[in-house]
Amino acid sequence: MSTPRVDPITTEIIRNAFLSAASDMKEALIRSAHSPVIYEMEDCGVGLFNENAETVGQAAGLASFLGTLSPVIELVTQKLGRDSYRPGDVIIVNDSYIIGTHLNDVVIFSPIFCENELVGFAANKAHWRDIGSKDVGFVVDTTEIYQEGIRISPMKLYDQGRLNQTLVDLLTMNARFPDSLLGDMHAQVASCRLGERRFVEIVERFGLTTVRDAMADVFDASEAAERRAIAEIPDGVYYAEGWIDNDFVTNEPFKVCATVTVHGTEITVDNTGTSPQRKGPTNCGFVNTLSACRVAYKFVICPLDPVSGGSFRPLTVKIEPGTVAAAQEPAACQQFGPHSLLMADLILRALGQAVPHKVTAGLPGCARNVFIDGWDPGLGRRFVSGEANPSGWGASAFGDGESGVVHLTAGDFKNIPAETQEIKFPLLITQYQLRPDSGGPGKFRGGLGIIKEYEALADGTLSLWFERSVTPQWGVFGGKDGAPPRVVVGAGRPDETVMLKASHRPLPTGTIVTAYTSGGGGYGPPWERDPQLVRRDCLNGYVSREAAATEYGVIFWPDSLEIDTERTAKRRSELAAQTESYPA
Amino acid sequence: MTITYVGVDIGGTFTDLVYWDGGRYHMAKTPSTPPEFAQGMLNGLDQLFPNRDLGHLDYIMHGTTAGLNAFLERRGALTALLTTQGFRDVYEIGRMNRTDMYNIFFRKPERLTPRHRIYEVPERIMADGQVRRPLDTEALGDIIQALKQDKVASIAVCLIHGYKNPIHEQQVKAILERELPGVSVSVSHEVAPEWREYERTSSTVINAYITPIMEGYLAELERGLIERGFKGRLYIMQSNGGVMSTTAARSQAIRTLMSGPVGGAVGSEILAEQIKEPHLICADMGGTSFDVSLIQDGKSEVRTHVVMEGFPILAPMVAVHSIGAGGGSIARAVDGALRVGPVSAGARPGPACYGHGGVEPTVTDANLVLGRIDSDYFLGGAMRLEATAAETAMGRLSRDLGLDPFRLAEGILRVVNAKMANAIRTITVSRGIDPRRFALVAFGGAGPMHAAFLAEELDIPRVIVPAFPGAYSAWGMLHTDIRLDLVHSYFQAFSRLRVAEIEDAYQVMQTEGRQRLLAEGASGEHLAFYRTADVRYLGQEFFLNIPLAPTFGTEALRQLPSAFHRAYEIRYGHATPTAEIEVVNLRLRAVGQLQRQALPPPDTQVEAKVHQTRRRVYFDGEWYSCAVYRRASLPIGFTFTGPSIIEEPACTTVVPGGFSGLVDDYGNLILNRR
Repeated sequence: MSTPRVDPITTEIIRNAFLSAASDMKEALIRSAHSPVIYEMEDCGVGLFNENAETVGQAAGLASFLGTLSPVIELVTQKLGRDSYRPGDVIIVNDSYIIGTHLNDVVIFSPIFCENELVGFAANKAHWRDIGSKDVGFVVDTTEIYQEGIRISPMKLYDQGRLNQTLVDLLTMNARFPDSLLGDMHAQVASCRLGERRFVEIVERFGLTTVRDAMADVFDASEAAERRAIAEIPDGVYYAEGWIDNDFVTNEPFKVCATVTVHGTEITVDNTGTSPQRKGPTNCGFVNTLSACRVAYKFVICPLDPVSGGSFRPLTVKIEPGTVAAAQEPAACQQFGPHSLLMADLILRALGQAVPHKVTAGLPGCARNVFIDGWDPGLGRRFVSGEANPSGWGASAFGDGESGVVHLTAGDFKNIPAETQEIKFPLLITQYQLRPDSGGPGKFRGGLGIIKEYEALADGTLSLWFERSVTPQWGVFGGKDGAPPRVVVGAGRPDETVMLKASHRPLPTGTIVTAYTSGGGGYGPPWERDPQLVRRDCLNGYVSREAAATEYGVIFWPDSLEIDTERTAKRRSELAAQTESYPA
Repeated sequence: MTITYVGVDIGGTFTDLVYWDGGRYHMAKTPSTPPEFAQGMLNGLDQLFPNRDLGHLDYIMHGTTAGLNAFLERRGALTALLTTQGFRDVYEIGRMNRTDMYNIFFRKPERLTPRHRIYEVPERIMADGQVRRPLDTEALGDIIQALKQDKVASIAVCLIHGYKNPIHEQQVKAILERELPGVSVSVSHEVAPEWREYERTSSTVINAYITPIMEGYLAELERGLIERGFKGRLYIMQSNGGVMSTTAARSQAIRTLMSGPVGGAVGSEILAEQIKEPHLICADMGGTSFDVSLIQDGKSEVRTHVVMEGFPILAPMVAVHSIGAGGGSIARAVDGALRVGPVSAGARPGPACYGHGGVEPTVTDANLVLGRIDSDYFLGGAMRLEATAAETAMGRLSRDLGLDPFRLAEGILRVVNAKMANAIRTITVSRGIDPRRFALVAFGGAGPMHAAFLAEELDIPRVIVPAFPGAYSAWGMLHTDIRLDLVHSYFQAFSRLRVAEIEDAYQVMQTEGRQRLLAEGASGEHLAFYRTADVRYLGQEFFLNIPLAPTFGTEALRQLPSAFHRAYEIRYGHATPTAEIEVVNLRLRAVGQLQRQALPPPDTQVEAKVHQTRRRVYFDGEWYSCAVYRRASLPIGFTFTGPSIIEEPACTTVVPGGFSGLVDDYGNLILNRR
């Protein structure tokens, strides 16, 4: 522990002041944004940074977005030059190769000045409803970034407090929902302005030197804590790989690899072996991969501490340029998520070889997007219903996985209520419930996925992205995989079709779409599960009687949930004998 | 005619009572008696009226924690949930979010009813209220058999779009009440008639879960009151700052969740009027939490969507922002850095100075070490504090951090004060409100000890410590009215709004409000109605509540957009005047004033002569010899300057150097920054 630069009392006051300011910035953004994905799903990230783009305060939101703001500010500053910033400026950028994700995600940040000296940045990233991509709503079949919408290289949205109206006109002219775009943009700017005010207040109260020194102490403390946690992980090289089903445009699986090296107090993640960038839209910029790696790291290393500029210092991420994980122009990046989520999950799988009690079985690796768009005859206007759906979480050494939760890098992302959906769109939701037997069997069971069923009340089109059928959410240490996802269109009709992905497939009035999301992986052999827990699962309908017998070896007396202990013991020993033993 | 009242606030530790006999106030404080809280209240009444005769009392206003405790401690009734077929797991899935985003072992909050007690009813209402599938009463019959076998005590019913067309919920309720006598039934369109199925389900389940507990509690209480000859009216405090009848509380128990703490907000509304300060920041600091709320233009703010213990609740509540900072907040060294809270020593072991085995220093220990609390006059001397235990705890931490123990103690207070100031910034500065236009009211056991420092940090000119800081909630309850908050979900883009439709909806609510107020005992000439509408930009989720005139006509319609854009600009710092707006809810607040006379100022001074001593107190790195006053001995108009200390059994007021103060005409302590 190095000697602190500032007394710990002042440091703690300054640290709290930044955290509180960042959380207020987020509140300002989500409460006044116009796009449902921002306010309802909190598809956004918010933070305050020092002049070197190091995090001084960040607010909870979408986990994957938080790791991205700091490197984006750094990249943009390299590009524009630090000297080009002026008080009152606001910078805007959405280029996928800089921000990492798709063009709908727009980063807005403002440099903060005190007495003409650059002291920090207020930044946020939020998902805009439409950015003028080739199709309305959800785009899954692009092969070049130019099809995905208007691409904004880093530029000034406000120049010394003056709005760049030319740019705004260009943006609104290219968007399908210009009012919504303006509303979101204003909300993002207002959030930055609030951050600036609070930042300046803090500097005025404590003095710039003290603030800088105090935050340097905070960074050092975060780093020290992380290094201590890493030192407890046995040194070694741990590897895991998996497959993404396809990139939609070409129908073949492609590979994602994670090599995790733990050495002393350092962790290195390397993606050697990962597929080159794809023709279809499953590519992303480096920053998105970096962020996915950071989320996986954070799950294991000091998960409860707030992220600061000292976090992630012990982590090195080596990504080969030209792979899906660091794609180059003109790669399409609309579906930036699937492979980066798998990458994060693989890092956890690799680390599980060293610290089995710190990770879970396979996690939800996809947003399970269902988009339905068309013409609303009642309101006489275009509609786009888009949403992410919950899946089952992986089980761990401490218990079952949670059922019906958002995927692993999404955090506080919320679903759309069925009632909201029906009020706004010509859709009828006929089912929204857990999917029995979808949780991977195990001593601790994976969480359940869900079933959501839609009926189209007007003609429209359907777009889908359901991932991870080739590499489902794996079980670990003898636990079984969770059930893979599945979508049925026109269930029970002669033209019934099963699929996982779709691009603007015609959806005539009356068609039923039934989406099954995946379950979490199980942990430990299922026949070691406490029979009383299996009984409770059957009582609640999470597990069927059949699965209780075949998977868990728990057999009930006919027409009751009384355990037949004799047959159960026999079945369980058979199950155990059928399988090799797994080390704990 | 003299009208007499008692206000009763039952807290986790103490039950406070304030009695107005028509001429002066009388106070009583008794230990609470969990889990049978009614007994504590009756004990308090017996202390006020030793002859056990309540025959002359007109009103009892009661803030109860019976519902809240049952919810927090999971001691509610065995509850089943009935939902629309296909929607069994709305309750378990929730909104799918993981609030603790980096916690790989995240768990959702423990639900109040398990999945096997959730039943699906074949029926369906559409978004526009049309019946798509009629209620299948035969299938409901099978469910009723299962409910009987399961011996459930309470049933929540939440059907899809039941807020829009309640016909099926009404039918289900009637059948359940006929077939299952004695079982409590809560239906969503009565509990929370707003769209969004998870939020409505969660609210209805909580209501069902605590209603039987509330019924039992009120029955016991009423029995005890009748035994004592009580012939007046018993009113229950609602979370919105008004009262309701016990009949209403028996079916709307969810509206009592903040029944106790809300008395403070009502007290502040009265205080604002008394001292002519329309804008107040109300700071309540206790052992574990710091709760802050605003009074603007003399009125407290009410929120309609709240989250408690991870569950959304659609019920109007006075808006309170809470953070984990209190007298019990523990100070620790983490990697050479200082952390204060949110971990609290709670009541057990409590701060080190309580002598119950606490070894880590807390905020209270810091105050004691610096001489700001008198170890012999804590709770008026009822509890002796162990100064040496506090010093030992502080000494240990000061060695870990390499700091002088007194500087550390003052540092702990600075950190906790800064956290509380941040909480105040969140509800003011961050929403475009300037805290310097406000006065700060401090109450709760620890509030008056810290208030002046918060005022310094936020540049607030004036601090008020009210006449009864320990029984402020109970005092506030004496002054409340019957308040009903009615809502009508009305989802329409601005271009499609129909003036007549809106006016009709308000008229219907007004008629209902009038009937209910009269039924609850309000007098006809003292009714008031306030209309507001929830408005937002087309497609947004969050809305602003816009006040409307008493009648809705073409002119009101014309002015609605500009009123909204203006409110939006003030609240968020930007607006989009070109964008279309939509209305989502029409709201009506119906207020029935209870018949009463104006209350004169309280007489706080009970001792004949000013009681003053001196002791050493630490401020800004130095020891000062300070005047220490007993508050009960200070006459109206008495002035004092900081640094000084004013003690009373309920709390200690710390007056730092930069302040001077006086006792005002109402017995409040007013501290002014010099």
